[in-house]
Amino acid sequence: MDISFALTGKGYVIVAADTTAARSIVKMKVDEDKIKVLSPHLLMAFSGEPGDTVQFAEYIERNIRLYQIRNTYALRPPSAASWIRRALADSLRSRRPYSVNLLVGGYDTSTHTPHLYWVDYLGTMSEVPFAAHGYGAYFALSLLDRYHDPEASLEDGLATLRRCLDEVAKRLVVTPEKYKVKVVDKDGVREVEI
Amino acid sequence: MSDRIYLGLPGLATDVTTLKEVFRYRVNMYTIKEEREIEPETFAHLVSSTLYEKRFGPYFIEPVMAGLEKTPSGAYKPFIAATDLIGCLNFAKDFVVAGTASTKLYGVAEGLWEPDLEPEDLFETCAQTLLNAVDRDAYSGWGAEVHLITKDKVIKRTLKGRMD
Amino acid sequence: MATASVYKGAGFDFSNEVRNTFLSERGIPLPKATSTGTTIVGCLFKDGIILGADTRATEGPIVADKNCEKIHFITDNIRCCGAGTAADTEFTTALISSNMELHALSTGRKPRVVTAMTMLKQMLFRLVPQPTHYHRPPSSIAPFPYRYQGHIGAALVLGGVDATGPQLFTIHPHGSTDKLPYVTMGSGSLAAMAVFEAKWQPNMEVRIPHAHPLPTYAHSPPPPPQRAEALDLVCAAISAGIFNDLGSGSNVDACVITASHTEMLRNLVKPNERVQKERSYQFRRGTTAIKKESIRSLIVDEDVTSITGEAMDIS
Repeated sequence: MDISFALTGKGYVIVAADTTAARSIVKMKVDEDKIKVLSPHLLMAFSGEPGDTVQFAEYIERNIRLYQIRNTYALRPPSAASWIRRALADSLRSRRPYSVNLLVGGYDTSTHTPHLYWVDYLGTMSEVPFAAHGYGAYFALSLLDRYHDPEASLEDGLATLRRCLDEVAKRLVVTPEKYKVKVVDKDGVREVEI
Repeated sequence: MSDRIYLGLPGLATDVTTLKEVFRYRVNMYTIKEEREIEPETFAHLVSSTLYEKRFGPYFIEPVMAGLEKTPSGAYKPFIAATDLIGCLNFAKDFVVAGTASTKLYGVAEGLWEPDLEPEDLFETCAQTLLNAVDRDAYSGWGAEVHLITKDKVIKRTLKGRMD
Repeated sequence: MATASVYKGAGFDFSNEVRNTFLSERGIPLPKATSTGTTIVGCLFKDGIILGADTRATEGPIVADKNCEKIHFITDNIRCCGAGTAADTEFTTALISSNMELHALSTGRKPRVVTAMTMLKQMLFRLVPQPTHYHRPPSSIAPFPYRYQGHIGAALVLGGVDATGPQLFTIHPHGSTDKLPYVTMGSGSLAAMAVFEAKWQPNMEVRIPHAHPLPTYAHSPPPPPQRAEALDLVCAAISAGIFNDLGSGSNVDACVITASHTEMLRNLVKPNERVQKERSYQFRRGTTAIKKESIRSLIVDEDVTSITGEAMDIS
């Protein structure tokens, strides 16, 4: 039941994910953070099989961190996404593959461009202007087709995200009550209230 | 893959990316070790053995290759090949097809293709074959792309196709 | 999870197996492999053997290749016809061919057909357990460390002439072998065997036609009397497969091996030549609507500007 969205704009990427941790029909927690900060300019929203998600996200987080410690510089978003995809593709060929879907958003400080990657548990990856995973995708993608603007300001971007969240709240049977929203731009990563 | 070798990889999206990475790596290693560019036929064998290595757990990919090979006299000769998912090579003289629309492509190509077409005529034949086959396939479409490879230039054309 | 290296040790890599089982459970079916629904034959005659094959490769109900080669090179005096999973016959014969060459080099003898047959059956059937504690000469008949048990779908007809005379074998995917004076394999084996049973006799003659390609078999007048019986018989057997078995088709390939030399007769008979198309289906240029075009020039042009006026002194 995880829902995650992400969209790019002029010099930033917004990543949003709901904060519920559910088991069967019971809500266990309503303040779960499902967006990892992988490096100063890289975010990753993860969803899928409970257990796999956190395990995989932490594995990625620590390896990206290790790279940064060893090489002083963090991997740039395209390289990081490519490495993360390979980790999933390799996992898929193992005895028990991770069932984790990801949205990887980052700001490339060398080219000053935002990047967003949609990755699924099979290791399918594509670079996109906006993306969603989970049931939210059914409602959000058509809205994003209509309202997304790669040149939009952060305020406008957040307003577009707001539309998506409102639509989900209006139409989805079981709606998450809260979302965590993080933004990455030239100044790094920060959380915003929505 | 190189200036004069093009590879089509229809199949499972994750394997498309993985194999693209594998072939890029192997072609680069070949170029460095041999200090020359790989020939299309050699590349076809590279594709074939890469796939056969996973005979009992194959990649879900059916590659098609096209390129120009250098003849001893220095001229270029057209080359096409395709393999199945475990790397059985098919060096055809006329055409190769693959993907979810392959059954339709076989039929249309068999009807439309003729030998010794000029580049621009071959483009029309190829584009029409593709568009018409794809229109009868539920799983492919949403536009098409054709690369016309000639000895001194490669023309990439994005075709206008049905968007449904 | 270090990134997997693409260079690995010898042998097959099963790493996708688990994933594919998982994928097929989720309803993603495994695409079909090319197989050679085939007619392949071999027959003994007075001075050697003849191998024959059709040239159709199929992918389920589709003809994938109308003129493929099913008679594979093993050594100068040994050839092998393959039926079954196309990639398997291709790679199995290539592997045995390499091992036969190494074997010939290390023994210094002309390779024998039984050697190839033994290598093939041991590979297809099972391994001779490979002890690691004693030294094995590197190029002895290497046991294959796998137990394919029929999973490598290669059905073969192996033939050649060696020091012990003409030899002809069939090898099944499970590793069983037969040694017979005339053999057939593949989906068209019944049709071909019917021809052999009716017409084969010991000590047949062969005369290899010198001028080929031959006239089209189906439409040409009855073969002239001096045309060899054995080669005709092989042609008839393959033709029986081509015309009566749906998995076989197109042309006849043959290979005549005698003690002195081997002759590969590629497309010996072409009874299914495509006729000239009734009309040309060329499209008028500009038929296809193009949304975008980009041209990448492969010609590097550079302007050379002479800076110094005087030529260098190279005397």
